Amino acid sequence: MSCWYKDYDALGGIVISSRIRLARNLSNMPFPRRMDAQMLRTLKERVKVAVDKMQDKVMLKFIEMNDIPENEIKAMVERHVISPDFANSCRDRAIALSNDENISIMIGEEDHIRIQVISAGNSLDKAYEIADMIDVALNESLGFAFDSKLGYLTECPTNIGTGLRASLMLHLPVCESRGEINMISDAASKIGLTVRGMYGEGSKASASFYQISNQITLGISEKNAIENLKVIAQQIVEREKSARADIDKLNLMDTVFRSLGALKYARIMSSDEFTKHISMIKLGVDEGIIENNNIKPVELLISAQPYMLMKNHIAITPLERDEARATMIRGLL
Amino acid sequence: MLCQKCGQNMATTHIKTVIGGKVTEQNLCGYCAAKKGYTGFADGSISGLLSSMLGQVMKSDNGVFEQACSCCGSTFADIAETGKVGCAECYKTFETELLPYLKRIHGSINHTGKTPGSTELVVTEFIDKVSHLKRKLANLVAEEKYEEAAKIRDEIKELEGDK
Repeated sequence: MSCWYKDYDALGGIVISSRIRLARNLSNMPFPRRMDAQMLRTLKERVKVAVDKMQDKVMLKFIEMNDIPENEIKAMVERHVISPDFANSCRDRAIALSNDENISIMIGEEDHIRIQVISAGNSLDKAYEIADMIDVALNESLGFAFDSKLGYLTECPTNIGTGLRASLMLHLPVCESRGEINMISDAASKIGLTVRGMYGEGSKASASFYQISNQITLGISEKNAIENLKVIAQQIVEREKSARADIDKLNLMDTVFRSLGALKYARIMSSDEFTKHISMIKLGVDEGIIENNNIKPVELLISAQPYMLMKNHIAITPLERDEARATMIRGLL
Repeated sequence: MLCQKCGQNMATTHIKTVIGGKVTEQNLCGYCAAKKGYTGFADGSISGLLSSMLGQVMKSDNGVFEQACSCCGSTFADIAETGKVGCAECYKTFETELLPYLKRIHGSINHTGKTPGSTELVVTEFIDKVSHLKRKLANLVAEEKYEEAAKIRDEIKELEGDK
């Protein structure tokens, strides 16, 4: 399977990707924040054994985070493989990662274990099925901390219960331009959902990409939390669709092709300018205005993030980076 | 997007300031946001908010929370300060203090999701039903309503037999 942002068939819509995260902890061990170096080593060893044991179900590569260069760790955040908190932590951490990077198990994040499954398009059920299978397999070896009344016990009380965070990433350029995001966000919060930027907690929307996820984890089953999210996301998708139908076609075409022109010919492209244009390109492709099948907006968006660029091009200063971005985009368009 | 201040870390905190109608926006990493004094939400999570909620208990019940968790050594003061719990055992040690906050955050203190090792929601429902009946039984016995209690006891036996 290809990694989520290259799964082109599934990326052509308002729902960009689906993500499931399960927070799990081992019993009789402090949570990572209160662990010393020896405890963290023990944790990593125990999880490594458990990961090795389930290789017949899912093949994951075990990697020490200290062996990964700093810039690659930041690029992993940009690809949504790991959380920003996990990347910025100075603890001794490890990750078990599938070849396509769609499955990751972060060890030593806020909780002992964070299982993450990400997949392209509207595919929460599929992602949950995989995360659930891994959860069951790991529990056989590790025995997760669980209380019959409070569910899975987590470091942050906001995750206790199911430990589940299900998210859908939506592309909402027209709702955004109409100033409707705050209203959507308010409505979502009333039913236990939250709307955030592209990189989760505290981040700003980039290229009109918004993540909507469940906030409540106690007193609601995994299935119900996922169903609620799907129903509300569908309503937001319908709203975006009807808003798109109202736009004047000539104006939309003009904006889309201006963005395409800028990306095709610019020599210096800042991150902010790029995200504005790429959002328009995605809209143009989805609405059939751009008919070139070789344009992959989501892959472009991820590949043009600062550390992804630095990974593939020698670009040190911000100006060099903006030049490298423009060169890369021109090459791909 | 990179932090506008240090240009090194990923910007995770978006700060919008409105002063006299003039709007300024900044995108900072957690570290630079904290340095600028945006401590409440500086780590980009609601733990800052949670910590202030728990801190209210500390202020109102000064001196009550000297007990330390036997597994990780955390005191309630530690939990209140960070908004984070020290280990799984803390939830038992500080149950009385934490339950009202869990209720406030989630609106419930009863897990209804899966149980370890099982994907079957039926198992959870079964446990919920049995534990509910057991609580009911204990109440009936305490109230000396033995006839009703016997019925509940049989119901529990039947359910556990089915397991």
